[in-house]
Amino acid sequence: MYNWLIAPFSNNEFMRNALVAGILVSVLCAVAGTFVVLRGLAFIGDALAHGVLPGVAGALLLGAPGMLGAAVGSAVMIVGVSFVTNRSGLSSDTAIGLLFVGMLALGVIMVSRTDSFNGDIVRILFGEILGIRAANILVLAIAVVVISACVALLYRPFLLLCFDPEQADVSGFSSRRYHAIMLVMVAATVVVSFQAVGTLLVFGMLIAPASAGALLARRIWAMIAWAIGIGATSVYVGLLLSYHYDTSAGATVVFVTVCAFFVVLVAQVAGRSVARGLRGPVSASPVGAT
Amino acid sequence: MSAAPLSATTLTVGYGTDPVVEGISLTLQPGESLALVGTNGSGKSTLLKTILGLIPPLAGSLEVLGGKPGTRPKRIAYLGQAHTARFVVPIRAIEVVRMGRFAALGLFGRTADRDRQLVHDAMAHMEVTHLADEPLRSLSGGQQQRVYLAQVMAREADLLVLDEPTGGLDVAGRERYRELVEMALARGASVVTATHDIGEASGCNQVMLLNRRIIAQGAPEDVLNTSMLLQTFGITLQGIQHDDHHDFVIGEMPHGHDHGHDHSH
Amino acid sequence: MLPILNRVVRSAIVALAVVPVVASCGGTTADNADGKKTVVVTYSILGSLVREAVGDAANVVVLIPNGSDPHEWEPSAKDIERLNNADLIVRNGLDLEGGVLDVLNNAQDDGVATFVASDHVTIRLVGEGEGLPTGDPDQEVGAQDPHLWMDPLTLKDAMVALGPTLAEQGIDVADGITAVVAGLDSLDAEVKDVLAAVPESNRKLVTGHESMGYFAKRYGFQLIGALVPSLTTQAGVSAQDLSTLSAEIAAQNVKAIFTEIGTPTQVADAIGQETGVKVVDLASHTLPDDGTYATFLLENATKVATALA
Repeated sequence: MYNWLIAPFSNNEFMRNALVAGILVSVLCAVAGTFVVLRGLAFIGDALAHGVLPGVAGALLLGAPGMLGAAVGSAVMIVGVSFVTNRSGLSSDTAIGLLFVGMLALGVIMVSRTDSFNGDIVRILFGEILGIRAANILVLAIAVVVISACVALLYRPFLLLCFDPEQADVSGFSSRRYHAIMLVMVAATVVVSFQAVGTLLVFGMLIAPASAGALLARRIWAMIAWAIGIGATSVYVGLLLSYHYDTSAGATVVFVTVCAFFVVLVAQVAGRSVARGLRGPVSASPVGAT
Repeated sequence: MSAAPLSATTLTVGYGTDPVVEGISLTLQPGESLALVGTNGSGKSTLLKTILGLIPPLAGSLEVLGGKPGTRPKRIAYLGQAHTARFVVPIRAIEVVRMGRFAALGLFGRTADRDRQLVHDAMAHMEVTHLADEPLRSLSGGQQQRVYLAQVMAREADLLVLDEPTGGLDVAGRERYRELVEMALARGASVVTATHDIGEASGCNQVMLLNRRIIAQGAPEDVLNTSMLLQTFGITLQGIQHDDHHDFVIGEMPHGHDHGHDHSH
Repeated sequence: MLPILNRVVRSAIVALAVVPVVASCGGTTADNADGKKTVVVTYSILGSLVREAVGDAANVVVLIPNGSDPHEWEPSAKDIERLNNADLIVRNGLDLEGGVLDVLNNAQDDGVATFVASDHVTIRLVGEGEGLPTGDPDQEVGAQDPHLWMDPLTLKDAMVALGPTLAEQGIDVADGITAVVAGLDSLDAEVKDVLAAVPESNRKLVTGHESMGYFAKRYGFQLIGALVPSLTTQAGVSAQDLSTLSAEIAAQNVKAIFTEIGTPTQVADAIGQETGVKVVDLASHTLPDDGTYATFLLENATKVATALA
């Protein structure tokens, strides 16, 4: 039992690094992902994750750090989306779709022109959690602190924005400004986390644990806490499974975390059915009197 | 610069380049209430949002609490129509009411006893204290509306802007709502409501009938008559005078009621 | 603001508290059950020769499964563990093992003994007029070709150098090395025989990617071009390259084109149809069923001879 559960980590530094990095990514994605889920940023979150590809490709071409390229790529996405939305009258969904596909195609074109690092495109998409070094972990830790502080500081306008953007504006917190800040927060999370699980999969880390948290929690901080717990556990289980069954580490982690969401959902639905069955055929009235 | 909390002169409201209602002029004094009456799409919500600064006026002038719309967040309370987003966020009833204090507290303000007291009193008035810890999404429509009204009350605003405030409320709830408005008016606040409920409108100081234009405007007794209401709603409504308010019912009325109006049987 | 700060920070701290606990779990490498050293060779072709030389004196493990593309293959967690725990890593060099490069380099940096085959051989450079000018940096004149195993005498140089390195690890197989070297010499003669049937004018090679360079140099063939003009299978194909290649094939009267691992088969078939040449598959990166280098090279040589004679 010990050998199966602990030995892969105690025997291998690269597995320990992967676990630490993965847990930090979970914390980061739980915090940012909570607002992605609550604010309905799923589509643009996904778009950001894919849209950084040309940025990363460009950075690698120039010999610059991939994260820098990702940051530039995400900035272009955000500015582009808001430009199209504001100037064309098209819906933001359309704008997001256009930018996302365009950036992704540009990224592939860039990589296809210089085929000396084609393997890197796989690494960009799927991450290299088994290749995490101390420097990556440091960056992740800093990001966790910064983003947690940002959320703690801006909790009131973020809550208002998720609850009702009009209320945010009327209360003196510009919904536009805080929406933009949220997007930057999501972009920063993607930029810092993609090295672990890849741009294709980081989106899963953003929304699956937070969605499970939304099902389980009655308050937002509890949602974040659940998301952290579920995310971190998925990292551990995913790494363990990928070790024992020789599967891709990043993909296994994300798959586990999505499964966790479905487990929670099914358990809840089943629990409610059982409770309803126990209560008898008459449907219970809502809490208190109208 | 006038002292009136709300003053508009030949104001046109609408979206982008499409006007919805043109030529609105009105003045609302402290302690006064104004009802906007009309169907969906008549321009009520558009006017409310313009007053709040959520959309810009298309023409004319509008002054809210002595300044441009949207520049006095600490002194305004808004109750909008419900959005589905509210049901996604895991939040308890008491946290919804606490959000009413955010405008006053801003980003960095610490919650003080006064804030807690206002929240507590508001919830007590709307009779939702026992629901404080319940998730918002598990409450019934009427209960949720009471919570939103408690939030409005907790703001201690000088101008209340309410869109369909009695939606989903039962008789007791409407009573609590009426008291809430009376208390606000009594301390010098002004109230603007958009409503379908003509009976409620009849209790306000001013009424404005809208149907993508101003049908009529003035005191309720002058404005709320059958022909005006026909133009507003497109259906025939008759008034029944009660001791303290009017009720309006659809269609023809049997003889014996004094409504001072010719009609054929 | 404060309560949420508390809670978020608290949750983060709890999550992070796991970190030092896990990190402090010391590393204990698994010891070999039988006390023998472990030599990890990256790819199967070189691995077969190392196994022949070493015999039972040590455990020889091949990292990249036979049949997988060594340019692209990526390691699993267990593979990384295997590499880190090896007593000696034998790798090709010249970035052949593209998908596992970082891990190999990290292992070397962390102190695992590493033998790089290309350090001990004459490295072939891409020559003038070789293949078609495509602007690909790997194809640039002077680029280093990693496919050393296509020439038995180049491999001989590597195996000879390996002997002392093995000895440093306490694996004394001087006899084994000698036997392998002798085998490579006689294999070279056999291959020359097989290829004698191909006249000078037909000694033209068009392959899936530029993998036959050492073979061509040793046995006097001319490299016309490749379907995927690169030294690695990871590159893609452009329309312009293909049309240039078709024209060249027709102009030079090439009799057959050879596909290999990673070659897009539809592209090869399309060229075959358009130019009328034979399309033959070469197992240039994969050992045959009996797992020996000799069979590997002879089978490939025979295919070439049959197609071009």
